[in-house]
Amino acid sequence: METLFGITGKDFVIAAYDTKAVASITMMKIGEDKSRNLNDHSVMLYSGEPGDGVHFAEYIERNVKLNGIRHGLEMSPKAVASFARRELADSLRSRKPYSVNLLIAGYDVKKDTPALYWMDHLASSAEVPFAAHGYGAYYCLSMMDRYHRPDITEEEGIKLLKMCINELRTRMILNMPDFVAKVVTKEGIRVVQL
Amino acid sequence: MDALVSKYAHSSASPLDSSEGFSQAGFDAAQQFALPMFDIPMVSNPIDFLRAHTDPSAENRIRIQHGTTTLAFKFQGGIVVAVDSRASGGSYIASQTVKKVIEINPYLLGTMAGGAADCQYWERELGRRCRLYELRNKERISVAAASKILSNMVYDYKGMGLSMGTMITGWDKTGPALYYVDSDGSRLKGERFSVGSGSTFAYGVLDTGYDFDMSVDDAIALGKRSIYHACHRDAYSGGSVNVFHVKESGWEFKGNFDFDKLHWDYQAQPKGQIV
Amino acid sequence: MEYNGGAVVAMVGKNCVAIACDKRLGVQAMTISTEFKKIFQATPKTYLGLPGLATDVQTLAEKFRFKINMYKLKEEREIEPRTLAHLVSSTLYERRFGPWFTEPVVAGLDKNNNPFICNTDTIGCINFAKDFVVSGTSTNQLYGMCESLWEPDLEPEDLFETISQALMNAVDRDCLAGWGAEVVVITPDKIITRTLKSRMD
Repeated sequence: METLFGITGKDFVIAAYDTKAVASITMMKIGEDKSRNLNDHSVMLYSGEPGDGVHFAEYIERNVKLNGIRHGLEMSPKAVASFARRELADSLRSRKPYSVNLLIAGYDVKKDTPALYWMDHLASSAEVPFAAHGYGAYYCLSMMDRYHRPDITEEEGIKLLKMCINELRTRMILNMPDFVAKVVTKEGIRVVQL
Repeated sequence: MDALVSKYAHSSASPLDSSEGFSQAGFDAAQQFALPMFDIPMVSNPIDFLRAHTDPSAENRIRIQHGTTTLAFKFQGGIVVAVDSRASGGSYIASQTVKKVIEINPYLLGTMAGGAADCQYWERELGRRCRLYELRNKERISVAAASKILSNMVYDYKGMGLSMGTMITGWDKTGPALYYVDSDGSRLKGERFSVGSGSTFAYGVLDTGYDFDMSVDDAIALGKRSIYHACHRDAYSGGSVNVFHVKESGWEFKGNFDFDKLHWDYQAQPKGQIV
Repeated sequence: MEYNGGAVVAMVGKNCVAIACDKRLGVQAMTISTEFKKIFQATPKTYLGLPGLATDVQTLAEKFRFKINMYKLKEEREIEPRTLAHLVSSTLYERRFGPWFTEPVVAGLDKNNNPFICNTDTIGCINFAKDFVVSGTSTNQLYGMCESLWEPDLEPEDLFETISQALMNAVDRDCLAGWGAEVVVITPDKIITRTLKSRMD
């Protein structure tokens, strides 16, 4: 089962994904990128039905980029999340719905605040201080409740993520390979190997 | 008084020899240690019959208490047992003041997850058998043996709808002992267990805060916190936290803490250091 | 209804109405957020409560915001609560054979400041009530609380107390709702919005 994490801090958001690609009972690949940068300050992480994630994320990515080019303005994380939610909600009641869980992590440059949106495959969306998808959520949400503060530093955020990953490695029956984190700040998006 | 007692006593039972404990005729081991017998519904397949009335899709569904968070862990100072106190039938909260730690005897504790009646009944039966063991052998039963009795008893009813996930803890000759026993027949000896719908949330906090060498106060605080976090995230756990400490002299009740008060107290405290 | 959890209640008072909701968003047993919006302002004196499947709550909130704004532009006046109720009803009935999984509540004061409350089922059958309406996962509990606490002609402050007690005690008997509450009291000259602290389990 795939796991996604997101943590906001004072001036950043960290979004992390496991790099496992699975088909049925076979591990097809380790090192799969489960994220798409939607613009300079927002990134989308996806999990769920294989194939759907990439298609949906790239569709959103291109439309967000197109919107940016058309208007010469970057969409805020909130706008990106609203757009993605509506697209997913419309697809939900179509003949072939996308089945993807999303985390949208962004930095709102105008408001100067980080933002994290949790969204499930039914397109229910919520802005949250921290979030997780997959079975990992059942172990890690309580840990985040325990240790997360709104004024957490980036270093502490990475540490907290490592604690969570460690917990999954000890408690989850499934093999958990490496995680990759993307850190979004005012300066843009950075990749961090965990 | 004697006349009254004899009137209601079983006529077939011969009078016990008061000076020598059990007489051969008064104590029938085969009967005392036989598995309890239950009336079985008069249908061709009792298991299917039960399932038809307990399935979520059944029209007149019998709802059985299910949601729970319980945990127990060994540490330097013995064992800490902590549980929540919510009983739910479907999404309805039937009670917020359930006792989910069953005091089998002054040295043995059992926790309750799954069917409330199943846990209560079988752990009471276990208590009776442990007492008989004590009387016959003039020493306390070990936790290993007690948990094995429970495991064997429920295993005989496997597949018939019993639902229990329990931890049997206590202190015997070998020191503190902790076993996980469930209605599938699993019986595991261990250091740290959490059982119930909120168990994963409790594990998250418990594993990260655990240290074998921690003090008794810290261990109790950790048990309390782990249940608290599980109650917050898991819809089917809540109410209050009951904490017990098992030590050489037997178990000790460490208090009942209402969730509401705990929550606002914890909110006022600074968050834990990320290690 | 049971997938995400949540409860909404509305009550009539003396020249005022109140609407309240819990704040939980869950995925079955797991609570995801405790800041989830379920009641929305439709006009200066009308609120719309949308408990149910979270995705439909959000989609419908957007849809109704659009429709209410279009109404305002066309008619050059605010929509009346009774009209809004029929708008809600027909919007839901459009999806008769594949419904939105939400049971909306409308609460407001009309142009003469007469209280109006109603709720509908998932496909738009309107239930007008003179006292109170309930919706969401805690309906059984809410009916019990409202039947015993509500009385006619409550003043705004008393109505606030009544609806708050009704909601909080109802969701405390429901696994899937609670985790904080929001109450709105609508009076002819002001709107009182309050956030309640409640049990977080």
